[in-house]
Amino acid sequence: MADKQLDDSDLDLFVLRELSSLPGLAPSRGFQDRVMARVGLPRPATLVGLQRAGAWALQPRRAAALATAYAACVLTTILLAGPWVAAHFSFVTLGASWVVGHVGGWMDAALVAVASWGVRSGVVQALRSALGTGARLWATVATAAILYAGSGYGLHVLLKAPRRGHELSRAL
Amino acid sequence: MPTAKDLQALGDQEVVELAKAGREAAYRELLRRYERPVFSLIFRMVRDRTLAEDLAQETFVKVLNALGSYRPEYKFSSWIFKIANNAAIDQLRRRQLDTLSLDGSPEARTADEIEATALQATDRAESPLEELESRETGAAIERAIDRLRPEYRSCILLRHVEGRSYEEIAEVMDLPLGTVKTYIHRARLELREYLADLKT
Repeated sequence: MADKQLDDSDLDLFVLRELSSLPGLAPSRGFQDRVMARVGLPRPATLVGLQRAGAWALQPRRAAALATAYAACVLTTILLAGPWVAAHFSFVTLGASWVVGHVGGWMDAALVAVASWGVRSGVVQALRSALGTGARLWATVATAAILYAGSGYGLHVLLKAPRRGHELSRAL
Repeated sequence: MPTAKDLQALGDQEVVELAKAGREAAYRELLRRYERPVFSLIFRMVRDRTLAEDLAQETFVKVLNALGSYRPEYKFSSWIFKIANNAAIDQLRRRQLDTLSLDGSPEARTADEIEATALQATDRAESPLEELESRETGAAIERAIDRLRPEYRSCILLRHVEGRSYEEIAEVMDLPLGTVKTYIHRARLELREYLADLKT
Protein backbone atom coordinates (compact mmCIF):
# COMPACT_ATOMS: atom_id res chain seq x y z
CA MET A 1 0.00 0.00 0.00
CA ALA A 2 2.80 2.39 0.98
CA ASP A 3 4.72 1.45 -2.17
CA LYS A 4 1.67 2.14 -4.30
CA GLN A 5 1.21 5.60 -2.71
CA LEU A 6 4.86 6.35 -3.21
CA ASP A 7 4.62 5.28 -6.82
CA ASP A 8 1.55 7.43 -7.39
CA SER A 9 3.06 10.55 -5.85
CA ASP A 10 6.29 9.86 -7.73
CA LEU A 11 4.34 9.59 -10.97
CA ASP A 12 2.34 12.70 -10.16
CA LEU A 13 5.54 14.66 -9.65
CA PHE A 14 6.85 13.27 -12.93
CA VAL A 15 3.66 14.35 -14.75
CA LEU A 16 3.79 17.84 -13.25
CA ARG A 17 7.46 18.21 -14.10
CA GLU A 18 6.86 17.10 -17.68
CA LEU A 19 3.88 19.44 -18.04
CA SER A 20 5.72 22.46 -16.70
CA SER A 21 8.69 21.76 -18.96
CA LEU A 22 6.56 21.87 -22.12
CA PRO A 23 7.89 24.71 -24.27
CA GLY A 24 5.78 27.66 -25.41
CA LEU A 25 5.14 27.25 -29.13
CA ALA A 26 5.38 30.19 -31.50
CA PRO A 27 3.30 30.80 -34.61
CA SER A 28 5.11 31.27 -37.91
CA ARG A 29 6.92 34.48 -38.85
CA GLY A 30 4.67 37.37 -39.86
CA PHE A 31 1.82 36.24 -37.62
CA GLN A 32 1.52 39.67 -35.97
CA ASP A 33 1.41 41.44 -39.34
CA ARG A 34 -1.24 39.06 -40.65
CA VAL A 35 -3.39 39.75 -37.60
CA MET A 36 -2.81 43.52 -37.73
CA ALA A 37 -3.82 43.59 -41.41
CA ARG A 38 -7.28 42.43 -40.31
CA VAL A 39 -7.64 44.70 -37.29
CA GLY A 40 -9.29 48.11 -37.60
CA LEU A 41 -7.56 50.66 -35.37
CA PRO A 42 -9.98 53.03 -33.64
CA ARG A 43 -9.71 56.69 -34.68
CA PRO A 44 -10.46 59.73 -32.49
CA ALA A 45 -14.21 60.42 -32.40
CA THR A 46 -13.80 64.09 -33.39
CA LEU A 47 -11.82 63.16 -36.52
CA VAL A 48 -14.35 60.50 -37.48
CA GLY A 49 -17.19 63.01 -36.93
CA LEU A 50 -15.51 65.69 -39.05
CA GLN A 51 -14.74 63.22 -41.84
CA ARG A 52 -18.32 61.93 -41.84
CA ALA A 53 -19.72 65.47 -41.83
CA GLY A 54 -17.35 66.45 -44.67
CA ALA A 55 -18.26 63.41 -46.75
CA TRP A 56 -21.95 64.05 -46.12
CA ALA A 57 -21.77 67.74 -47.00
CA LEU A 58 -19.62 67.31 -50.10
CA GLN A 59 -22.23 65.36 -52.05
CA PRO A 60 -23.45 67.72 -54.87
CA ARG A 61 -27.10 67.96 -53.85
CA ARG A 62 -26.32 68.39 -50.16
CA ALA A 63 -23.57 70.93 -50.93
CA ALA A 64 -26.05 72.97 -52.99
CA ALA A 65 -28.65 72.75 -50.22
CA LEU A 66 -26.09 73.83 -47.61
CA ALA A 67 -24.91 76.77 -49.76
CA THR A 68 -28.52 77.88 -50.29
CA ALA A 69 -29.25 77.60 -46.55
CA TYR A 70 -26.13 79.61 -45.77
CA ALA A 71 -27.06 82.33 -48.30
CA ALA A 72 -30.60 82.41 -46.89
CA CYS A 73 -29.23 82.87 -43.37
CA VAL A 74 -27.00 85.76 -44.44
CA LEU A 75 -29.81 87.37 -46.43
CA THR A 76 -32.31 87.02 -43.57
CA THR A 77 -29.82 88.56 -41.14
CA ILE A 78 -29.25 91.52 -43.48
CA LEU A 79 -32.98 91.96 -44.04
CA LEU A 80 -33.65 91.93 -40.31
CA ALA A 81 -30.65 94.04 -39.37
CA GLY A 82 -31.21 96.65 -42.16
CA PRO A 83 -34.39 98.26 -40.76
CA TRP A 84 -32.93 98.24 -37.24
CA VAL A 85 -29.75 99.98 -38.39
CA ALA A 86 -31.84 102.52 -40.33
CA ALA A 87 -33.94 103.23 -37.24
CA HIS A 88 -30.88 103.66 -34.99
CA PHE A 89 -28.53 105.18 -37.54
CA SER A 90 -27.15 107.97 -35.39
CA PHE A 91 -26.45 105.58 -32.51
CA VAL A 92 -24.73 103.11 -34.83
CA THR A 93 -22.54 105.75 -36.50
CA LEU A 94 -21.58 107.20 -33.15
CA GLY A 95 -20.61 103.78 -31.83
CA ALA A 96 -18.78 102.85 -35.03
CA SER A 97 -16.77 106.10 -35.09
CA TRP A 98 -15.86 105.60 -31.43
CA VAL A 99 -14.60 102.05 -32.12
CA VAL A 100 -12.77 103.06 -35.30
CA GLY A 101 -11.21 106.07 -33.55
CA HIS A 102 -9.92 104.03 -30.65
CA VAL A 103 -8.73 101.05 -32.65
CA GLY A 104 -7.14 103.33 -35.23
CA GLY A 105 -5.41 105.27 -32.44
CA TRP A 106 -3.98 102.06 -30.96
CA MET A 107 -2.80 100.88 -34.37
CA ASP A 108 -1.16 104.23 -35.11
CA ALA A 109 0.61 104.19 -31.76
CA ALA A 110 1.82 100.60 -32.32
CA LEU A 111 3.09 101.42 -35.82
CA VAL A 112 4.97 104.49 -34.60
CA ALA A 113 6.47 102.47 -31.73
CA VAL A 114 7.69 99.72 -34.09
CA ALA A 115 9.08 102.23 -36.60
CA SER A 116 10.94 104.24 -33.99
CA TRP A 117 12.35 101.03 -32.48
CA GLY A 118 13.51 100.01 -35.96
CA VAL A 119 15.29 103.32 -36.48
CA ARG A 120 16.78 103.46 -32.98
CA SER A 121 18.03 99.83 -32.96
CA GLY A 122 19.63 100.10 -36.42
CA VAL A 123 17.50 97.31 -37.97
CA VAL A 124 16.32 99.61 -40.77
CA GLN A 125 19.89 100.67 -41.53
CA ALA A 126 21.06 97.06 -41.59
CA LEU A 127 18.25 96.04 -43.95
CA ARG A 128 18.97 98.94 -46.27
CA SER A 129 22.67 98.07 -46.53
CA ALA A 130 21.87 94.36 -46.98
CA LEU A 131 19.45 94.91 -49.83
CA GLY A 132 21.54 97.70 -51.32
CA THR A 133 20.62 98.23 -54.94
CA GLY A 134 17.28 97.68 -56.66
CA ALA A 135 18.63 94.50 -58.30
CA ARG A 136 19.33 92.95 -54.89
CA LEU A 137 15.88 93.90 -53.70
CA TRP A 138 14.28 92.17 -56.69
CA ALA A 139 16.45 89.08 -56.19
CA THR A 140 15.33 88.91 -52.54
CA VAL A 141 11.69 89.30 -53.48
CA ALA A 142 12.01 86.59 -56.18
CA THR A 143 13.75 84.18 -53.76
CA ALA A 144 11.08 84.77 -51.14
CA ALA A 145 8.35 84.13 -53.73
CA ILE A 146 10.01 80.85 -54.84
CA LEU A 147 10.42 79.73 -51.21
CA TYR A 148 6.79 80.59 -50.53
CA ALA A 149 5.58 78.57 -53.54
CA GLY A 150 7.88 75.66 -52.58
CA SER A 151 6.55 75.64 -49.03
CA GLY A 152 3.00 75.61 -50.36
CA TYR A 153 3.77 72.63 -52.60
CA GLY A 154 5.54 70.83 -49.73
CA LEU A 155 2.52 71.29 -47.48
CA HIS A 156 0.25 70.01 -50.25
CA VAL A 157 2.37 66.84 -50.61
CA LEU A 158 2.55 66.28 -46.84
CA LEU A 159 -1.15 66.73 -46.25
CA LYS A 160 -2.20 64.55 -49.20
CA ALA A 161 -3.98 61.30 -48.22
CA PRO A 162 -1.62 58.27 -48.36
CA ARG A 163 -1.80 56.29 -51.54
CA ARG A 164 -2.68 52.60 -51.65
CA GLY A 165 0.91 51.69 -52.46
CA HIS A 166 2.08 53.20 -49.18
CA GLU A 167 -0.44 51.17 -47.19
CA LEU A 168 0.58 47.98 -48.95
CA SER A 169 4.25 48.58 -48.32
CA ARG A 170 3.49 49.21 -44.62
CA ALA A 171 1.40 46.06 -44.44
CA LEU A 172 4.23 44.02 -45.95
CA MET B 1 3.84 58.63 -26.41
CA PRO B 2 5.11 55.40 -24.74
CA THR B 3 7.71 53.39 -26.66
CA ALA B 4 7.58 49.62 -27.19
CA LYS B 5 9.90 49.25 -24.20
CA ASP B 6 7.66 51.40 -22.00
CA LEU B 7 4.66 49.32 -23.02
CA GLN B 8 6.40 46.14 -21.86
CA ALA B 9 6.45 47.54 -18.32
CA LEU B 10 2.71 48.26 -18.28
CA GLY B 11 -0.06 45.94 -17.12
CA ASP B 12 -2.58 44.40 -19.51
CA GLN B 13 -5.32 46.87 -18.55
CA GLU B 14 -3.13 49.89 -19.25
CA VAL B 15 -2.01 48.50 -22.60
CA VAL B 16 -5.64 47.81 -23.50
CA GLU B 17 -6.54 51.42 -22.67
CA LEU B 18 -3.78 52.66 -24.98
CA ALA B 19 -4.97 50.30 -27.71
CA LYS B 20 -8.50 51.63 -27.31
CA ALA B 21 -7.07 55.11 -27.91
CA GLY B 22 -5.83 53.85 -31.28
CA ARG B 23 -2.13 53.17 -30.54
CA GLU B 24 -0.91 50.49 -32.95
CA ALA B 25 2.10 49.79 -30.70
CA ALA B 26 -0.28 48.79 -27.90
CA TYR B 27 -2.04 46.30 -30.20
CA ARG B 28 1.31 44.81 -31.11
CA GLU B 29 2.29 44.59 -27.45
CA LEU B 30 -0.86 42.57 -26.67
CA LEU B 31 -0.05 40.33 -29.62
CA ARG B 32 3.53 39.92 -28.43
CA ARG B 33 2.37 38.99 -24.92
CA TYR B 34 -0.23 36.44 -25.92
CA GLU B 35 0.74 35.01 -29.31
CA ARG B 36 2.76 32.16 -27.78
CA PRO B 37 0.38 31.16 -24.95
CA VAL B 38 -2.67 31.35 -27.23
CA PHE B 39 -1.00 29.52 -30.09
CA SER B 40 0.43 26.86 -27.74
CA LEU B 41 -2.97 26.22 -26.15
CA ILE B 42 -4.75 25.95 -29.49
CA PHE B 43 -2.02 23.83 -31.08
CA ARG B 44 -2.02 21.38 -28.16
CA MET B 45 -5.79 21.14 -28.49
CA VAL B 46 -6.08 20.61 -32.26
CA ARG B 47 -2.62 19.10 -33.04
CA ASP B 48 -2.43 20.75 -36.46
CA ARG B 49 -0.08 23.66 -37.04
CA THR B 50 -1.87 25.30 -39.96
CA LEU B 51 -5.24 24.98 -38.29
CA ALA B 52 -3.83 26.24 -34.99
CA GLU B 53 -2.42 29.32 -36.76
CA ASP B 54 -5.76 30.01 -38.40
CA LEU B 55 -7.64 29.64 -35.13
CA ALA B 56 -5.10 31.77 -33.24
CA GLN B 57 -5.38 34.42 -35.93
CA GLU B 58 -9.19 34.36 -35.70
CA THR B 59 -8.93 34.63 -31.91
CA PHE B 60 -6.71 37.71 -32.05
CA VAL B 61 -8.75 39.39 -34.80
CA LYS B 62 -11.93 38.83 -32.78
CA VAL B 63 -10.37 40.10 -29.54
CA LEU B 64 -8.57 43.11 -30.98
CA ASN B 65 -11.55 44.23 -33.05
CA ALA B 66 -13.79 43.98 -29.98
CA LEU B 67 -11.50 45.83 -27.55
CA GLY B 68 -14.11 48.57 -27.32
CA SER B 69 -16.53 46.15 -25.66
CA TYR B 70 -13.90 44.72 -23.26
CA ARG B 71 -14.92 45.13 -19.62
CA PRO B 72 -11.93 45.94 -17.40
CA GLU B 73 -13.39 44.14 -14.37
CA TYR B 74 -12.38 40.88 -16.08
CA LYS B 75 -8.80 39.83 -16.63
CA PHE B 76 -7.69 40.37 -20.22
CA SER B 77 -5.91 37.00 -20.19
CA SER B 78 -9.15 35.24 -19.15
CA TRP B 79 -11.00 36.86 -22.01
CA ILE B 80 -8.48 35.96 -24.69
CA PHE B 81 -8.01 32.39 -23.39
CA LYS B 82 -11.78 31.94 -23.29
CA ILE B 83 -12.11 32.89 -26.95
CA ALA B 84 -9.11 30.74 -27.91
CA ASN B 85 -10.41 27.76 -25.96
CA ASN B 86 -13.90 28.08 -27.44
CA ALA B 87 -12.42 28.23 -30.94
CA ALA B 88 -10.38 25.08 -30.31
CA ILE B 89 -13.28 23.17 -28.71
CA ASP B 90 -15.64 24.14 -31.56
CA GLN B 91 -13.05 22.93 -34.05
CA LEU B 92 -12.65 19.61 -32.23
CA ARG B 93 -16.43 19.11 -32.18
CA ARG B 94 -16.67 19.86 -35.90
CA ARG B 95 -13.79 17.50 -36.59
CA GLN B 96 -15.45 14.76 -34.56
CA LEU B 97 -18.64 15.16 -36.61
CA ASP B 98 -16.66 15.11 -39.85
CA THR B 99 -14.83 11.98 -38.78
CA LEU B 100 -18.05 10.16 -37.96
CA SER B 101 -19.74 11.10 -41.19
CA LEU B 102 -16.74 10.61 -43.47
CA ASP B 103 -15.16 7.55 -41.98
CA GLY B 104 -18.24 5.52 -41.15
CA SER B 105 -18.31 2.37 -43.26
CA PRO B 106 -20.66 2.56 -46.26
CA GLU B 107 -21.70 -1.04 -45.53
CA ALA B 108 -22.88 -0.13 -42.05
CA ARG B 109 -26.66 -0.38 -41.80
CA THR B 110 -27.52 -0.33 -38.12
CA ALA B 111 -26.61 2.29 -35.53
CA ASP B 112 -24.32 -0.23 -33.84
CA GLU B 113 -22.41 -0.89 -37.05
CA ILE B 114 -22.00 2.85 -37.71
CA GLU B 115 -20.76 3.39 -34.18
CA ALA B 116 -18.35 0.47 -34.45
CA THR B 117 -16.83 1.71 -37.71
CA ALA B 118 -16.66 5.30 -36.47
CA LEU B 119 -14.82 4.25 -33.36
CA GLN B 120 -12.41 2.29 -35.46
CA ALA B 121 -11.83 5.34 -37.62
CA THR B 122 -11.00 7.61 -34.68
CA ASP B 123 -8.84 5.09 -32.85
CA ARG B 124 -5.67 6.86 -31.79
CA ALA B 125 -3.40 3.84 -31.58
CA GLU B 126 0.03 4.80 -32.85
CA SER B 127 1.97 2.95 -35.47
CA PRO B 128 5.23 1.42 -34.17
CA LEU B 129 7.17 4.07 -36.04
CA GLU B 130 5.12 6.87 -34.50
CA GLU B 131 5.56 5.33 -31.07
CA LEU B 132 9.32 5.16 -31.50
CA GLU B 133 9.43 8.70 -32.84
CA SER B 134 7.34 9.91 -29.96
CA ARG B 135 9.63 8.34 -27.37
CA GLU B 136 12.77 9.46 -29.17
CA THR B 137 11.70 13.09 -29.32
CA GLY B 138 10.41 13.12 -25.78
CA ALA B 139 6.91 13.93 -27.00
CA ALA B 140 5.22 11.29 -24.83
CA ILE B 141 3.63 13.89 -22.61
CA GLU B 142 2.23 15.66 -25.69
CA ARG B 143 0.77 12.34 -26.87
CA ALA B 144 -0.70 11.70 -23.46
CA ILE B 145 -2.32 15.15 -23.39
CA ASP B 146 -3.74 14.45 -26.83
CA ARG B 147 -5.54 11.38 -25.43
CA LEU B 148 -7.41 13.40 -22.81
CA ARG B 149 -10.97 14.63 -23.27
CA PRO B 150 -10.95 18.20 -24.72
CA GLU B 151 -12.30 19.70 -21.46
CA TYR B 152 -9.63 17.94 -19.39
CA ARG B 153 -7.01 18.97 -21.92
CA SER B 154 -7.96 22.66 -21.70
CA CYS B 155 -7.94 22.59 -17.91
CA ILE B 156 -4.62 20.79 -17.56
CA LEU B 157 -2.92 22.99 -20.18
CA LEU B 158 -4.20 26.21 -18.64
CA ARG B 159 -3.23 25.10 -15.14
CA HIS B 160 0.11 23.38 -15.56
CA VAL B 161 1.48 24.75 -18.84
CA GLU B 162 0.17 28.33 -18.79
CA GLY B 163 0.19 28.58 -14.99
CA ARG B 164 -3.34 30.02 -14.64
CA SER B 165 -5.19 29.95 -11.31
CA TYR B 166 -8.18 27.64 -10.73
CA GLU B 167 -10.44 30.71 -10.54
CA GLU B 168 -9.22 32.03 -13.88
CA ILE B 169 -9.67 28.62 -15.50
CA ALA B 170 -13.23 28.49 -14.15
CA GLU B 171 -13.83 31.90 -15.77
CA VAL B 172 -12.23 30.82 -19.05
CA MET B 173 -14.13 27.54 -19.23
CA ASP B 174 -17.43 28.87 -17.83
CA LEU B 175 -17.41 26.09 -15.25
CA PRO B 176 -17.86 26.02 -11.45
CA LEU B 177 -14.61 26.06 -9.49
CA GLY B 178 -15.26 22.59 -8.09
CA THR B 179 -15.71 21.13 -11.56
CA VAL B 180 -12.43 22.64 -12.69
CA LYS B 181 -10.61 21.08 -9.73
CA THR B 182 -12.23 17.71 -10.45
CA TYR B 183 -11.30 17.90 -14.15
CA ILE B 184 -7.68 18.72 -13.33
CA HIS B 185 -7.51 15.93 -10.76
CA ARG B 186 -8.95 13.39 -13.21
CA ALA B 187 -6.74 14.64 -16.03
CA ARG B 188 -3.68 14.14 -13.84
CA LEU B 189 -4.82 10.64 -12.95
CA GLU B 190 -5.24 9.79 -16.63
CA LEU B 191 -1.86 11.29 -17.51
CA ARG B 192 -0.29 9.22 -14.74
CA GLU B 193 -1.80 6.10 -16.24
CA TYR B 194 -0.67 6.94 -19.77
CA LEU B 195 2.83 7.78 -18.64
CA ALA B 196 3.24 4.92 -16.18
CA ASP B 197 4.76 2.68 -18.86
CA LEU B 198 7.22 5.35 -19.88
CA LYS B 199 8.38 5.82 -16.29
CA THR B 200 9.04 2.10 -15.80
